[in-house]
Amino acid sequence: MIPLLLRRLFTAIPTLFAVILLSFLLMKVAPGGPFDGERPLDPATQAALARAYGLDLPLHEQFGRYLARLAQGDFGPSLVYRDFTVTDLVAQGLPISLTLGALALILALILGVSAGLVAASRPGRTVDEALMLAATLLTALPSFVTGPILVLVFGLALGWLPVSGWGDGDPPHLVLPVIALALPVAGAIAKLTRAGLATALGQDHIRSARARGLSPTRVLLRHALRPALVPVASYLGPAAAGLLTGAVVIETVFALPGLGRYFVQGALNRDYPLVLGVVTLYAGLIVLFNLVADLIYGWLDPRMRG
Amino acid sequence: MKPALLILAAIVLAALFVPPLLPWSHDAIDWDAIRAAPLVPGHPLGTDGVGRDLLARSLVGARVTLAVAAAAALVALAIGVLWGAVAGWCGGRIDEAMMRVVDALYALPFMFVVILLMVLFGRSILLVFLGIGAVEWLTMARVVRAEVMRLKQRPFVLAAEAAGAGPARIVGAHILPNLAGVAIAYLLLTVPQVVMVESFLSFLGLGVQEPLTSLGILVKEGADEMDLAPHTLLLPGGLLVAILVSLTIAGERLRDRFAA
Repeated sequence: MIPLLLRRLFTAIPTLFAVILLSFLLMKVAPGGPFDGERPLDPATQAALARAYGLDLPLHEQFGRYLARLAQGDFGPSLVYRDFTVTDLVAQGLPISLTLGALALILALILGVSAGLVAASRPGRTVDEALMLAATLLTALPSFVTGPILVLVFGLALGWLPVSGWGDGDPPHLVLPVIALALPVAGAIAKLTRAGLATALGQDHIRSARARGLSPTRVLLRHALRPALVPVASYLGPAAAGLLTGAVVIETVFALPGLGRYFVQGALNRDYPLVLGVVTLYAGLIVLFNLVADLIYGWLDPRMRG
Repeated sequence: MKPALLILAAIVLAALFVPPLLPWSHDAIDWDAIRAAPLVPGHPLGTDGVGRDLLARSLVGARVTLAVAAAAALVALAIGVLWGAVAGWCGGRIDEAMMRVVDALYALPFMFVVILLMVLFGRSILLVFLGIGAVEWLTMARVVRAEVMRLKQRPFVLAAEAAGAGPARIVGAHILPNLAGVAIAYLLLTVPQVVMVESFLSFLGLGVQEPLTSLGILVKEGADEMDLAPHTLLLPGGLLVAILVSLTIAGERLRDRFAA
């Protein structure tokens, strides 16, 4: 297990460094600046602003300062939300985005794995085909279409659930965003589980388990499910990335004060430190999720521990 | 697969040829029919919040969405096939280094990188598809590499090599033509990915810009108006879903056929 982790860290750290360097350089070569407004500022003010934010230093020094500050968890001031630092915005928004993402991941795993189990237990039957078609449909449905449609049906037409807002995190406000976020991931997990089970059920140890007279349910749950979940585990990294990305649009649709919405506002307003900070943070999180996914992977399939 | 391809063909043909035949263009305002429901005379699918014909807007939006998707998918195809073929053909250290790069890029938060590009270099439509194409080639590279490595061992390639054909000729005349099937299947699967990214960006206001429109923008406009006029959300949303679903189903069937 340890060598696997070390090997992954060995590739993860340069990746992270490359992301930080690349996004930093892109910011620098981009046309336009954070202080470009309707009216050009006078040169003295521009110079003063540049000095205040350290924009007059040579590039490598700016990058060095940036790295040093990142290491202390300081992402710099937000240029659009003038009274906040990026760290403030992250502290405020990230818990909301992570709550959404975690709940959606749990829901997607429950829905996806059970759909995969049901489908695999009746291969080739109508249930199997219907479930797999539904899974394909779900993976192809963008959350920015399902989100508003869920609001239209359950919020506006039926009036069962709140239309938007965070409501201090009370459960009814979370239902629709979490469902909209979870559905595409649930579809992908259902397909992977179904495919994994189909492979696992063809193996020798399953045949001997059956030959010893174990019930089909016991064979499926006790012997086939664990190896079948290996592809699901390796999908957890991309799934986490997908959920973080999806949260951006879900937070916009449902007007939730998560980090994704700040990110979009920052992107629309050229808030360099905010956009840079969020990209760096999310790259770090995704690298972390991939590591966790590798651990689960190693636990499910001992051959991977090497 | 057939129904999926038929639906897709119908949408493409309609997007290409129907808009000029309609009485209203996608950006003309009909002051007498603002936020009209479907089946109003002159507007078979109704109008949006400022009186623009929804059928014309949806079809023109689909046209832009499909054009961006096709262009970006071709960019992804070109980079992916080239990268994968070189890695697969050279093998050894070069292969390992090139695939390390692909692994590293897989770990990146794509959408955020594309948004970063949009923010930095302005939101031009050219950049939208270059940017998307530049991040969607990874799977193609992996698949092509695996396929090239398999083909490299096949007798007809060994025979060509024994007959003294140079690497350029072997790759050009023997390997690339045999890659076509797999490449087309994954190209079909890349297109919905790209459509998804493009509409995602346009939905957030970071992709295609007015006066051009795309299905993502229309879904956003519809979502803002859905309490007053649900059809402005449901029609472009439905069209987008139809495109995505038919592309995905066709791509998956084709992939399964070549994988078997």
